[in-house]
Amino acid sequence: MTDQTLPNPAVPADDAVTRETFVERYRKPLLGALAVLLFFIAWQAVFLVVPFNALFISKPNLIFSGLAELVVSGELWADLAVSAVPFLYGFTAAVVVGVTIGIVMGWRVRVGYALDPLMTVFYASPLVALAPLLIVFFGVGVSGKAIIIFLLSIFPFIFNAYAGVRAVDRLLINVVRSLGGKEKDLYLKVIVPSVLPYIVAGARIAVGRGLIGVLVGEFFAASEGIGYAIAKFGDLFALDKMFACILSVMIIAVVLTEGIRWAERSAFPWRVGQ
Amino acid sequence: MPAYIQGRNVNLTFRPPNRGPVRALYGFDIDVNEGEFLSIVGPSGCGKSTFLNVLLGLIRPDSGDLRMHGKPIAGPGTDRAMVFQEFGLLPWRSVQHNIELGLELKGVPTETRHNVSQHFIEMVGLSGFEGHFPHELSGGMKQRVGLARALATDPDVLLMDEPFAALDAQTRDLMQVELLRIWQEARKTVLFVTHQIDEAIYLSDRVMVMTKRPGHAKKIFPIELPRPRDYEMRVTPEFNDLKLEIWHALKDEITI
Ligand SMILES: Nc1ncnc2c1ncn2[C@@H]1O[C@H](COP(=O)(O)OP(=O)(O)O)[C@@H](O)[C@H]1O
Ligand SMILES: [Mg+2]
Repeated sequence: MTDQTLPNPAVPADDAVTRETFVERYRKPLLGALAVLLFFIAWQAVFLVVPFNALFISKPNLIFSGLAELVVSGELWADLAVSAVPFLYGFTAAVVVGVTIGIVMGWRVRVGYALDPLMTVFYASPLVALAPLLIVFFGVGVSGKAIIIFLLSIFPFIFNAYAGVRAVDRLLINVVRSLGGKEKDLYLKVIVPSVLPYIVAGARIAVGRGLIGVLVGEFFAASEGIGYAIAKFGDLFALDKMFACILSVMIIAVVLTEGIRWAERSAFPWRVGQ
Repeated sequence: MPAYIQGRNVNLTFRPPNRGPVRALYGFDIDVNEGEFLSIVGPSGCGKSTFLNVLLGLIRPDSGDLRMHGKPIAGPGTDRAMVFQEFGLLPWRSVQHNIELGLELKGVPTETRHNVSQHFIEMVGLSGFEGHFPHELSGGMKQRVGLARALATDPDVLLMDEPFAALDAQTRDLMQVELLRIWQEARKTVLFVTHQIDEAIYLSDRVMVMTKRPGHAKKIFPIELPRPRDYEMRVTPEFNDLKLEIWHALKDEITI
């Protein structure tokens, strides 16, 4: 038998392949937004059938006009600004302390073994239930709220930093050592960049818990802030404004969470799909 | 005159926690000449990687004498560099910055670093991929980066631990040709660990067969095939005779 050479068809260039349409490209966020829209429409539509009682429930058109009122009058911004202060204190402290504890747990095997069960128990426990106690200890001011936020948001940082340190690739440590790297280089060139994505992923989880901390702190004892506003409007049966405040917290939570997710994708492209 | 790299009676036992001790190297002797390409073949787990790590300065042997340029190996140094089987690229660094890692650790200024990395990027055929990240590269390209990174610090000795084992057969063949070209150009002493007898013969001046664990040299085969070597050489009778001889030395050490 003789060798057979087969004909070679002309291949179009890669960029000659048809481009995706806008809808194809953004299918995921578009479908997500559509579901949210349908949810509000359904909520509104329910009251075409069911009798509406403004003392017990609200509906989207009232909520949005309530929200507009709060925005225009500046009340919403004032409340959010007040709540932001303990959030920033509590969350920053959670980052610093949580990451430190997590790194020490990962680095010192015995510390890790010792603290792991304890931390897991705390993480799983309803810390929110301690809020009244903490308010009694630390007062109704910024510090009481900051401590609740701190306690709720610290655990994702501890666990993720811990996991991050344990996941550091020994091979990369050997690579840097073999090329003459010192202790300091191991941290700067390998450990910090490996652990960082874990910490940011922890922040994504911690944000939601921190916001719950804000609300809980202010429900129990406060005279201003977004959590206080929610409780106050509830007491006044101004449910449209109450839901408007809840909606604004939800929007903040989504923006922060998605913002962090976006930052993760752009800052740590090698982790995408992992 | 002592050899360029000289090991005498090197012994090393791992003592892992929670498990019994593992004797990895026992009475290990080696002589490597300057500029030589020496391959090491041996059964899995016989201590090949362990020896390279000892020579690299990452692991201290329990006893024995291991010298390079007549000086005992006391730790890592820029006169030796390793190409790792699993590449060992930093995922958060581009091709260029991975290649510059060793220079950075040496404190070489940015400008020089850039020139050096550019030179080796061209040498290993990665021009145009400077800004790519490891996850965007094929296995063959990753190992080209690993090779360029090792060469960039201008070591005298290149240690290669099954560098092509993670590559498919065709990529591996091409990488072997490239490696010979680069070796001829850069004139380094190379210690090359492999499982493939073909690969060892094709590349080497000498092939050392190791015993099973605890490993030491069993037999050394000089490869007197003329250079430059080409792909066709692998089907010559001389090549196949060598292959058979080495296989015989190796097969008694292999247990399955
Ligand atoms: N860090 C370690 N701790 C314990 N045992 C090890 C360690 N590294 C290697 N070994 C053991 O030492 C032996 C030699 O390993 P290695 O040098 O990696 O073999 P190979 O010849 O396949 O490269 C093997 O039995 C391996 O399991
Ligand atoms: Mg090995």
